[in-house]
Amino acid sequence: MALLDIRNLNLSFTSYGRTQQALRDVSLTIEEGQRVALIGETGSGKSVTSKAVLNTLPGNARVDSGQILWRGEDLLKKTTGQREALKGIEMSVVMQDPLSSFNPVFTIGRHLDDVLYWADCRAGRPTGRKDRAGRIAEILRKVQLADPARVVAAYPAELSGGMRQRVLIALALMNRPALLISDEPGTALDVTTQDEILRLINKLVIDEGLTHLMITHNLGVVRATADDVYVMNKGEIVESGPLRRLFEAPKTAYARDLVDAIPPLYGPGVKDQKVSDGAPLVELKAVTKTFRRKRLLRPDEATQAVRGVDLNIARGEIFGLAGESGSGKTTLARMVMGIMQPSEGRVFIDGRPLSDTGGRADRRLAQIVYQNPGTSLNPKRTVGQTLDVPLRFAGLDPKDRQRRTDELLERVDLPRSFVARFPHELSGGQKQRVAIARALAADPRLIVLDEPTSALDVSVQKRVIALLEELRYELGLTYLFISHDLSLMRNFCSRISVMFKGEMVEQGRPSEVFANPAHPYTRALIAAIPVVTDAEEAMKPKVTPEEKQRFLVSSAA
Amino acid sequence: MGPGFAQFLLKRIVGFAGVLLVLALMIFVLARVVPGDPARIALGPTASAEQVDQLRSEMGLDDPLPQQFVHFVANAVQGDFGISLISGRPVAQEIAAILPATLELVLATLVIMLLVGLPLGVLAARYRNTWADTLLRIVSLLGVTMPSFLFAILLQLFAAYFLVSWPILGRLDNALSGFDGPTGLHTLDGLLTGRIDVTLSALQHLAFPAIALAMSGIGQIMRITRSAMIEHQRRDHVQTLRSFGVPGRVVTFRYLFKLSAIAPLTIMGLEFASLIGNAFVVELIFSWGGFASAGLEAILQKDLNAVMAVVLVSGCFFVVANLLIDVLIGLIDPRLRMKESR
Repeated sequence: MALLDIRNLNLSFTSYGRTQQALRDVSLTIEEGQRVALIGETGSGKSVTSKAVLNTLPGNARVDSGQILWRGEDLLKKTTGQREALKGIEMSVVMQDPLSSFNPVFTIGRHLDDVLYWADCRAGRPTGRKDRAGRIAEILRKVQLADPARVVAAYPAELSGGMRQRVLIALALMNRPALLISDEPGTALDVTTQDEILRLINKLVIDEGLTHLMITHNLGVVRATADDVYVMNKGEIVESGPLRRLFEAPKTAYARDLVDAIPPLYGPGVKDQKVSDGAPLVELKAVTKTFRRKRLLRPDEATQAVRGVDLNIARGEIFGLAGESGSGKTTLARMVMGIMQPSEGRVFIDGRPLSDTGGRADRRLAQIVYQNPGTSLNPKRTVGQTLDVPLRFAGLDPKDRQRRTDELLERVDLPRSFVARFPHELSGGQKQRVAIARALAADPRLIVLDEPTSALDVSVQKRVIALLEELRYELGLTYLFISHDLSLMRNFCSRISVMFKGEMVEQGRPSEVFANPAHPYTRALIAAIPVVTDAEEAMKPKVTPEEKQRFLVSSAA
Repeated sequence: MGPGFAQFLLKRIVGFAGVLLVLALMIFVLARVVPGDPARIALGPTASAEQVDQLRSEMGLDDPLPQQFVHFVANAVQGDFGISLISGRPVAQEIAAILPATLELVLATLVIMLLVGLPLGVLAARYRNTWADTLLRIVSLLGVTMPSFLFAILLQLFAAYFLVSWPILGRLDNALSGFDGPTGLHTLDGLLTGRIDVTLSALQHLAFPAIALAMSGIGQIMRITRSAMIEHQRRDHVQTLRSFGVPGRVVTFRYLFKLSAIAPLTIMGLEFASLIGNAFVVELIFSWGGFASAGLEAILQKDLNAVMAVVLVSGCFFVVANLLIDVLIGLIDPRLRMKESR
């Protein structure tokens, strides 16, 4: 008998009187001890499926038909009390976002203790506080948190994202559940931390012999954590089967597109961008940026966000800037754009020092496309109004603005009718196209792309990247591409650099950097990227444990 | 707590001292700009010009304004607000005599506001979109929109008609009118001196004025608590606890409540200013004989020294109340403490 057997599940949401079907005839089987992955893009219904199993669906959801068999018994026929009793004991979930999954005004220990206390109560064996404290310390050590006492006493904001993610895993493992569901664990974290977290989950699943359902949109993650895969699209399971078969010979077009959309890291599919031999557009010489914080009674605190960086971006190139959060990428990009002045060192534009122009760069030099189009567009403005702002600053009269708006929409492959749409009427990819159009409006020579695709699904990412390549070719643009997704950068950039703690530790052509990374941090960064094939995995650079310890912020401490 | 919290407190105290100084400057300038010579007001229309001039120089009104201001502040810090232009007695003494009455009223009001407003807000959020929620929302809307003097009059009428023996004027029964205690807060003094009858009588007198004064605060706190609860309800951390089977009531009453108390507490600090303003009228209706009604009298009679004192003391009230609330919020929210120590 299968541990979990979902049969023809139909589920719909009703909001504001409108009913929308979220799951259509979803069937999925997990045997005891099996490792299954459920993959799909945003809105495909994968999280809804897991919530239906856990019984944490929002109030406006309704199961229309179908069965969820747990050890042969239909969960949908059980009472709320019976289903509550399974939570955290028989089935547990590792939540997706470690940063928002804890109540900020309670200590970590309080969360853990309450979860454990109520689980014990439901299992009919109430326990003492001391006994629970011992079990909490033990489980925290199991998720490789070295100092359980400190973690327990800490408030969520006092722990790093990686540490909080470990605590979330500990929460899920507390009662050694029969089924562990991981809902995109670590996606909110840096690549190297995410890699650590995935390894940890994988190890625990194998060590403890857990049954695992991994929910993810990242196919590279799936390769390492699952044996069988279900692919979901628009509320339906479109394909399922053993991992290898699905990756190597997908039957449906959708699954094939999904696999193809992943930029390869090594191998024949890798694309080399042509190196530009144009004159330098922006040059930074020994640039340092120090942030000062005034203190009341103590001396001021200084933080060096960028340290002695030399950089030049040639006309027409796609310059990639890689690094993890806090490495100084964004500060550097702001100085390149001329919206922030360096504390030391000089910035040259077209060979002329920036200080000659009063320290302010021309609006027509650089524009930026932000990471999350959902928040970078004003929700109260239509697309037309959003595009109108930079055009007005460019001094165009209404008629020209109209013409230019149409032209911009055409450039980013959006229909003209979109001028009247509000951001919430657009998909993520369409919103990012609008953001790109807005950056193009001022007719800049350089566009800073600040992780422009990290909020998008892979298939959408592929189309947006294709659009960016086309625009660069047509308009002769130069890009500064900021990202932590090295596999994407490998294929998209003509030159890349790696930043680590404010310093530039590596610079060169992608083919050279990836074939022979000089700095151990670069090696660690590349090694952490989830890849789709074993061949690529084998070609990744090796990192020694000492190097790891020296260059990666451990989330275990 | 640690050094972060100490620094957090120190910054607040310095900031609030600054606020008081600015307030002192504003009220001082106002008092000197309004038409009417303090010396002339003190001496009355029958005094001669020489007498007025003499008093002027005695009161230091001939000095340059900056010097006068420094004097004013230096004296005020020591609790000296000069002589009342009407009664001729020290203003500080007069205020000290009536301050406890208002303090008692305001404290009782705050307690009622919190004890009623917070739980009602939590209930409204928990039973959102039910008849109970709708009813509570209507009540809170009434509380916010109706002026407190209207409540005061209605409550007084209600008491007069239906609770015939219930006192509707003053702070104590006539039989106890001579009572005097160490703090001046009758409810507290009754307990301290073992006179339970005094405490009971004081509470009886306190009930309706405090309720009338608390109504708008209750409405506001309820609405803000409700929306904060609903807002936080959607957050991931609620989902986390629920998916591990922590009961909904525990999540609501423990986890959500503590987080959602921050917003209404902040509002309460601001609400304090209007509370003092409303107290002016409510005290008159219930013949409370407190600080607010004395302040009103001072304003009407142009007793400038008393007006300045009343404004500054109200300002102090406001500042101290906000300081306490900041400390309370700092205790609730560890992120605030961390921000300071980082």
